[in-house]
Amino acid sequence: MSFARPRLALGLAPRILATQRSTALRSSLVAYRNIHSTRCSHAEHLESRLEGPIRSPPLGAGSLTAKDEPGKDIDPYKGGQSAIDKAVHLFFFTEIIRGMWIVLENFFREPYTIMYPYEKGPLSPRFRGEHALRRYPSGEERCIACKLCEAICPAQAITIESEARADGSRKTTKYDIDMTKCIYCGFCQEACPVDAIVETQNQEFSTETREELLYNKEKLLANGDRAEAEIAANLHSDHVYR
Amino acid sequence: MSFIRYVRNIRRTGIKQWWHQLQYIGDAKAGTLVGTDQFGNKYFENLNPDDEVPGRHRWVDFAQHYSNATQVPPEWHSWLSHIRLQTPTEDAVMQSMTPPWKAPWAENLTGTRGAYRSYNTVKPKINAWEPKVIMRGEARP
Repeated sequence: MSFARPRLALGLAPRILATQRSTALRSSLVAYRNIHSTRCSHAEHLESRLEGPIRSPPLGAGSLTAKDEPGKDIDPYKGGQSAIDKAVHLFFFTEIIRGMWIVLENFFREPYTIMYPYEKGPLSPRFRGEHALRRYPSGEERCIACKLCEAICPAQAITIESEARADGSRKTTKYDIDMTKCIYCGFCQEACPVDAIVETQNQEFSTETREELLYNKEKLLANGDRAEAEIAANLHSDHVYR
Repeated sequence: MSFIRYVRNIRRTGIKQWWHQLQYIGDAKAGTLVGTDQFGNKYFENLNPDDEVPGRHRWVDFAQHYSNATQVPPEWHSWLSHIRLQTPTEDAVMQSMTPPWKAPWAENLTGTRGAYRSYNTVKPKINAWEPKVIMRGEARP
């Protein structure tokens, strides 16, 4: 927590530094402060190593060799913890205290829990949920029974039968999706040439019985009729990428 | 601090609304009412990061006691799920995309008598044998 840490740094650190009882204990507590509140001190940055005269490789060599490696004489572990410090950390259980302190900090923080039915996490306009069959703005069904979705479906969840209608246009008579088979890969909506089958953003279509998940054409069209505004708005927001 | 925020939100919304929220959302939240849908669900928003954690800044107060997430119609669902920036009442794209033949929304009716039951939409291809008795003296078909 932000109010606790400066107090720790101001109040605790001078006292520890004043009483130099045990070198190992003192350095372990200072290191405890360092780990939390300061940047990693014992790792040197590459930029600082590269400063200074850059030795160019001799002409004709073509590349850097191990001898020309910049800054290889710098010990990266120079100001770090010694083996005794590490042992003190391990055997005095300071890790446990540090872990408990993090728990205590988070106890006073605001929770990030999203209270689900009232609040919802962000969803993509490309989210693949429950299926729907769409219509043209005139109200005509989009599906032309080309059966590309049936062909590409990796789970073989789609079954289509078609007939010519009285006005001669080819329409489906049967468009069944077995939602228990479907893996929600979205290949059907990618394969569809007329944007007829889409996966809506609805993910709350859980059912009590298995039969309710065997969707037929009427159910899919009803899904599309109910959610057309949302589907069309999502497709519109993504149309520049499609 | 979350406790100060809690007390502040109670003072903003009032004791009655706080008690109502405690029964449902389980937190004291204060925000602006941005809209109400056709079922009476109320939608709130508070974009102040001092009041709400980002991600919890949009919420719904359901009209029904036994509420579930499908009681939100799809236009408001896309607002609540942070898909659309604007509410459907002021979203020009959503309004222009709404067709005249839009069907009314119904919640997920599973477990009730209104639940969807699957049926065949074509004529059955295999029919049971129906015996036809030919009377004596009639010609065989």
